[in-house]
Amino acid sequence: MSALIITTVLGIILLYLGLTKNKAILAPAAITGLLITLFLSLKTWGHGSKYFHDMIIIDNFSVAFNVSMIIITILIFLFGINYYKRMELHVAEQYSLMIFALAGAFLMTSFSNLIMLFLGIEILSIPLYILAGGKKTSYRSNEASFKYFMLGSFATAFFLFGIALVYGASATFYLPEIKTYIAQFNGNLPPMLMVGLLFILIGVAFKVSVAPFHFWSPDVYEGAPTLVTAFMATVVKTAGFAAFYRLLSMGLLPLPAPLKKALWVMTGLTLLIGNLGALRQTNFKRLLAYSAIAHSGFIMLAVLSQHDLSASVLLYYTFVYSLATVPLFIIFILVKRASSGLETLHIFQGLYKKKPWIAVFTTILLMSLAGIPLTAGFIAKYQVFVLSISQGYLAISIFAILMALIGIYYYFFVVREVFTETAESNPIIVSKLNAALIIVCGVAVVALGIFVWNVPI
Amino acid sequence: MILLIILIIPFITGLSLLLIRNSAILKLVALISAVANLLVTLSLIFSASVSSYSVDWISFLGTKFTLGYDGISLIMLFLTNLLFPFIVLAGFKRDQNQTPILYALILFTQSALIGVFLAQNAFLFYVFWELALIPVYFILLLWGGEGRRNITLKFFIYTLTGSLFLLFGIIYLYQLTPGSHTTDFSAFYQLNIPSTTQVWLFWILFIAFAIKMPVFPFHTWQPSTYTMAPTQGMMILAGVMTKMGIYGALRFLFPIVPKGVLYWQNTVIIMCLIGVIYASVIAFRQTNLKKLIAFSSMAHISLMAAAMFVMNYYALQGLLFQVISHGVTIIALFYIVNLIGERTGTLDLSQMGGIKLRAPNLAILLLLVILGSIALPLTAGFICEFLMITGLFQQSVWFAVFGGLTMILGAVYMLYAYQRVMLGDLRAGFERIPDIRSLDYIFLIPLIIIILGLGIFPQPLFNMADESVYAMQNFLKPVADSILAIIR
Repeated sequence: MSALIITTVLGIILLYLGLTKNKAILAPAAITGLLITLFLSLKTWGHGSKYFHDMIIIDNFSVAFNVSMIIITILIFLFGINYYKRMELHVAEQYSLMIFALAGAFLMTSFSNLIMLFLGIEILSIPLYILAGGKKTSYRSNEASFKYFMLGSFATAFFLFGIALVYGASATFYLPEIKTYIAQFNGNLPPMLMVGLLFILIGVAFKVSVAPFHFWSPDVYEGAPTLVTAFMATVVKTAGFAAFYRLLSMGLLPLPAPLKKALWVMTGLTLLIGNLGALRQTNFKRLLAYSAIAHSGFIMLAVLSQHDLSASVLLYYTFVYSLATVPLFIIFILVKRASSGLETLHIFQGLYKKKPWIAVFTTILLMSLAGIPLTAGFIAKYQVFVLSISQGYLAISIFAILMALIGIYYYFFVVREVFTETAESNPIIVSKLNAALIIVCGVAVVALGIFVWNVPI
Repeated sequence: MILLIILIIPFITGLSLLLIRNSAILKLVALISAVANLLVTLSLIFSASVSSYSVDWISFLGTKFTLGYDGISLIMLFLTNLLFPFIVLAGFKRDQNQTPILYALILFTQSALIGVFLAQNAFLFYVFWELALIPVYFILLLWGGEGRRNITLKFFIYTLTGSLFLLFGIIYLYQLTPGSHTTDFSAFYQLNIPSTTQVWLFWILFIAFAIKMPVFPFHTWQPSTYTMAPTQGMMILAGVMTKMGIYGALRFLFPIVPKGVLYWQNTVIIMCLIGVIYASVIAFRQTNLKKLIAFSSMAHISLMAAAMFVMNYYALQGLLFQVISHGVTIIALFYIVNLIGERTGTLDLSQMGGIKLRAPNLAILLLLVILGSIALPLTAGFICEFLMITGLFQQSVWFAVFGGLTMILGAVYMLYAYQRVMLGDLRAGFERIPDIRSLDYIFLIPLIIIILGLGIFPQPLFNMADESVYAMQNFLKPVADSILAIIR
């Protein structure tokens, strides 16, 4: 709880620090604050606690996911030091909005009540609507913001409607009570409850961009400022899936058959659309957007497999995925600057010639996303397949494996560009801090692939 | 412990090569490391005690880092460590860009291949299996010839397709193991999988190996990849990586899905024999020397695959013998092809002729290697092809007939190529072709000694694999007997 309070206060402090016009202190202040939060979160590991008449339950599950999201946010802020140097206005707002979003994410990992989940999602989303429009003068950034806002509100409306219907049927917001209420029907749910649950799932599926509710994400990812995109693709996704898992495990498992079928179809569609979509992309940001959708598919596979290890695999997967994705966005920013604002895959050409070490680590990060052995991404996918195959979902596992193959294809498309020579000779400028961070992430990705942990949550 | 040392020497050397700037010294260091590894391997082969190495890796996924070996692994290990000194040597006194990275990648490949052959845990096997592919991908991408961007990607995806199915198979077997699951081979061998499952699981496991070997119709990545590959990359691919497929099939298919093997046995043998004929005919029609050798290699490998699925003692011994013999012959052939290419600037058969007049020593050495390749008696090639065809004969006369065609067709196209390249009138522009240098002797003479030596005195190699071949054969025998009993 103290972590949540500190985070909220931190956001406000940052806003005031913005008034001092001294940009240099913003990032250190934000990172220090987050480190304190990290420390406080870690201290609550093993001591579960409940707040507000059990509307918030902080257990090891929420602590683990909070820690993972804080680490990724710190990483993004560290990269932000360099990124925001060029920006004159509203830097403090950017930092504090991300921190407010993080506070919402904390709620999404620790709710036990549908209202709390709704609050969490809204607190997470509203800062993002603003952040997506962070480049005020950019047409595409405005489009992204508007699109995200419209579709997001629409999804929220569905979600709220679903909550209302479920409340109408069961007369409670509490997930454990909803669970017992559902259990008494033995799978034959009354229509109102069924529709309500379906709407709730749709609302959450929109947030984690699971097909067929994914249409917003490529456009928003492309239009939003790249650092915000990195935040959306990692922290927001982690929060969304943590919420999804918690919703299922606390309230809805075992899933009624029609819902289960719907979710499996969504998983298959997500895998298909994410991977096939990425295959055709020439814009790197859109490629990563579709890759994010594709990874959602794999994560869904783990969530739906309902195994003791599901939560831990979910944590591992989202963490290593984020750890590889954030630096890739940063490398993209760097090469984009060197090629006067282009966003195609070709801008990666010549990276190996100009910055061999960055190229090597780019390759490692891409290999992790592709799931090549000795990277954490491989172990993550391996664990997902272990879950799904051992629960007997053979057909969808084979399908997912074929999709993973397509994934390897488009990631290696980028790898190939990295190692292709080009006549273009604009230097790629990588600050020392950024280079160090990229290398740390690359090493971490390999280290996590060799020394694999299993958090008991 | 000695196994760990063998595994790690190339890797550590590869890393340290990245720090060396002088390319001559760097190649020498790489060579010393490869030779040292060969010596350690030989000491392992001749030592009486059996060594193994095991530590826990990811305990909750049941994976251990277990290294060990049997006769079959030993043959493969020997082949790898025998060939890599030559593969390194093939780059001596040649201009290559970015030598540190090239040689580091070559040595990384060696490490990964050794890992494949020593792994006693399916997960570990898979990790090394994939790891072997990555450095080769970059060798092909960075030092390859024309069209490498697309061809390497095709090669990479093609081989990964098989691997991912293998991964599915491994996980499927993993969750079948009793108790707290494990991916140890020994646990997999204890599984009693129902025959209906074995019938489909066979293909899940086999595709990876079929692509790697490659077996018809999974070979389509091969010709273009071989054509554009740099010499050393091609030696790794044709000399060692094809054997990974054979080794994997021996390790996975026969012990784990014996009923599946028996069910599909004839289908696969027929596929392989189609491959033999197909590759031979295409080799005969080739005008490019490099492609011709590539297809001849495919014909040999297809025969090996066919012999493997016959699964009797003769065929298996012949197969393991051919593993060494083919590896040695093919890298000698590719080396000479490269020499010819360097000297004449072309590999087109119609542009060549009369090189013997200018380079008689080269011609003699090429002839010796070709004789080994077409399995003339007193060369290693003869012994293994003879044994494999004997094995095929025991299964069916027709298999032996079609398998025997490799020997005949091989002689036809290889001698034809020799005639086109070496004999005849000297082509214009070839007047200044130099004969081979001392370095080339150092490369070729040992290989030719191995080819002839094993042809004259093959017994040691047979002894090496004897026990394991019996063991391997025994995996199938009870199943085959029980099926026979049902038929009767």
